[in-house]
Amino acid sequence: MNKQIISFPKDGKPSLIPNEWQVWDGEHDEGGIPDLEHGMHKVLGPFHWWITRYKNPDIIHRANQGEIGVWFSADDDILKHADIIEAGKSLWPVVGAHFPIFRDGRSFSTAALLRDRFAWQGEIRAIGDVLIDQLLQGARVGFDAFELRADQNLDVALKQFDLFSVVTQNSWRDQRATIAAS
Amino acid sequence: MYKYDHIDQTLVDQRVIQFRDQVERRLNGTLAEEEFRPLRLQNGLYHQRHAYMLRVAIPYGLLNAKQLRTLALIADKYDRGYGHFTTRQNIQFNWVELEQTPDILAELAKVEMHAIQTSGNCIRNITSDAFAGVAADEYIDPRPICELLRQWSTLHPEFAHLPRKFKFAINGAKEDRTVLLCHDVGIELKKNPNTNNGELTADIYAGGGMGRTPILGSLIKSHVPWQILPSFLTALLRVYNRFGRRDNLYKARIKILVKALGPEEFARQVEGEWNQLHNDIKQSKDNFTQAEWERVAKHFTKPNYRALTALSNEQLQSHADSKLNSSEKIGFTRWLERNVKPHQVPGYASAILSLKPHGSAAPGDATSTQMNAIADLADQYSFGELRVTHEQNLVLADVEQAELLNLWRAAKNYNLVLPNIGLLTDIIACPGGDFCSLANAKSLPIAKAIQERFDDLDYLHDLGDITLNISGCINSCGHHHVGNIGVLGVDKDGEEWYQITLGGDQGNDASIGKVIGPSFYANEIPDVMSSLINTYVEQRTADEPFIDTYRRLGVAPFKEAAYRNNGKHSKESSKGAIA
Ligand code: HEM
Ligand code: SF4
Repeated sequence: MNKQIISFPKDGKPSLIPNEWQVWDGEHDEGGIPDLEHGMHKVLGPFHWWITRYKNPDIIHRANQGEIGVWFSADDDILKHADIIEAGKSLWPVVGAHFPIFRDGRSFSTAALLRDRFAWQGEIRAIGDVLIDQLLQGARVGFDAFELRADQNLDVALKQFDLFSVVTQNSWRDQRATIAAS
Repeated sequence: MYKYDHIDQTLVDQRVIQFRDQVERRLNGTLAEEEFRPLRLQNGLYHQRHAYMLRVAIPYGLLNAKQLRTLALIADKYDRGYGHFTTRQNIQFNWVELEQTPDILAELAKVEMHAIQTSGNCIRNITSDAFAGVAADEYIDPRPICELLRQWSTLHPEFAHLPRKFKFAINGAKEDRTVLLCHDVGIELKKNPNTNNGELTADIYAGGGMGRTPILGSLIKSHVPWQILPSFLTALLRVYNRFGRRDNLYKARIKILVKALGPEEFARQVEGEWNQLHNDIKQSKDNFTQAEWERVAKHFTKPNYRALTALSNEQLQSHADSKLNSSEKIGFTRWLERNVKPHQVPGYASAILSLKPHGSAAPGDATSTQMNAIADLADQYSFGELRVTHEQNLVLADVEQAELLNLWRAAKNYNLVLPNIGLLTDIIACPGGDFCSLANAKSLPIAKAIQERFDDLDYLHDLGDITLNISGCINSCGHHHVGNIGVLGVDKDGEEWYQITLGGDQGNDASIGKVIGPSFYANEIPDVMSSLINTYVEQRTADEPFIDTYRRLGVAPFKEAAYRNNGKHSKESSKGAIA
């Protein structure tokens, strides 16, 4: 678990901030959520866990305090659970989308769908095998927070966002430069 | 031809900086090879049998003389003096150093070229008709759409890590010269007064491809207005990105998804996704605008053609006769017949320079000397531009008919006028075991042996149109599935064998060839070819092309002939015989 994440708000600048969210894999579920590691008091639980527990009063209580978010695995078909996600919009401060391995691009589409189809306004955090060279794509499809794999150099990572000053297709952040030029 | 504006230029320049940094991180060890691999592939950099190989994009096959000179310079300065033009309208350099690739990319960027997305699991270089804009049978010049989609697909963030590679081809002529149905997405442009107010539309085919499971694409949507292509293709790719298989490399192509779901269900899912995108006002900003069209299309206007009268081949020959000796006459006549194609504009023609000399170079290879010479020819005879065909030849598209003789003479000095276009020796071949680390068998010596066996041009001309395609393994880089005759390298207990397919075809009646039976040794292949060709010659009706004879008779007589002498060749004598 990385102690710092990159936060890159849509209209802001990328920066390092402390990581408040512990990603929980949903294992050893005894009805509640696990004890939190030192320093963390918020938990991102797997969406498949949420689906079975979201009626539990204890969990709803914690959620109402802003302490619970969910993360989508790369093979969650989020369109199949549109109603739960709609309801989740007012409960989860953060959602995550998981990269099981850096070269699996499904979560790019998940983030794009969350922004386009669900009009998700809150944070979408990239978690899992997140490497420096995925940041640019992630930032453009809808991610605004990145928990990098622990071995990644965060200073090198932060520089990625300045690499390109032009883009040739629309994205969550910006319109393609070629429209303005026409 | 399209000219970069500051946006395109900035993008490729910044891409060079990005890749330089990635290479540095690789070299200083902070980027692991496994993690670098997809990054370098998205920059066309493979690691092959002997060295790194760099694949440079030639979008929809269009090049100018200056770019070709730069390719020659790269061949000389960073490689071994030649390059290999491929079936996907790219050029490959086989012997580059990792440390030097950023410099090569910087060199390319100076002439509006790059290697972005020429490999890797992303949208690859978009291919089209090598005769786009000039072909006599063209009804729509596809190049503005090609260029708009090139830009749209370049560094597309959502589709940077697809389940597998993704190839688009775009056609706008009556005869399909793009192998449209063998692409992940084939876009057939249409213009019909009854649809979309007579504006340009696209019919979308999906799920074609070669490789281990060759499949022809299915029509999944007709009449998509050109403006809406970005959202439609986003929807299509999104469905593939989310649901394409990632558990098995061989089942990860979109063709497998389309097949598993059925084309109707796949089309329904794409439509569902597209309706959402399309209805969403914010997203409709994705649509191409008329202003964008104009910005791009203004580069594809006609060059400064002169008002000329059309000449027939007979007239050209009789003009040439007095200037040529008798052997030259035959050569020039054959060249007019095979290598010169009709043009939209009276008095002009397109001339194909053959990169298939018999037995003396790998199909598609050009030396730096040839490249520089061709650049000069392009400047002198064809408005400084040329094209790459997927058959691995080069085209000077806008030659005055009256200059054909001069062009022929000049090109002859560089061994570029063999009149074998469309004939048996115009072989499409992948680099095979000589270069490629995935190969099961060599391709190039087989191509060479066949070209040497069938070296008689009279005979070749008599045989007429036949396509012969060779791949060194089932990945099918040599398009063997769509060759009238296909040769596929296979491995049996560590030995190189060759399987023959018959009946494949590209063009409007595209079809996938069928395996005729057990494989052969390398040194049997020339005899097998002779048997197949003799069978055709015996059985054909007047003027019947090979593929039609095959379709009429089926595989039986060919198969019988091919195996008649089987066993004559010993295992030992085959080894190394052609290698
Ligand atoms: C030397 C390095 C090369 C390597 C490592 C390589 C690798 C591959 C692989 C792995 C595939 C299989 C894709 C699949 O079925 O999923 C493939 C297919 C293909 N490659 Fe290559 N290739 C190389 C060179 C070439 C060359 C030189 C050409 C053109 C002459 C080419 C054009 C193609 C084409 C047209 C296909 C089949 C297209 C399809 O199934 O859609 N490749 N290549
Ligand atoms: S067909 Fe096989 S041997 Fe030939 S280039 Fe492709 S991967 Fe290599």
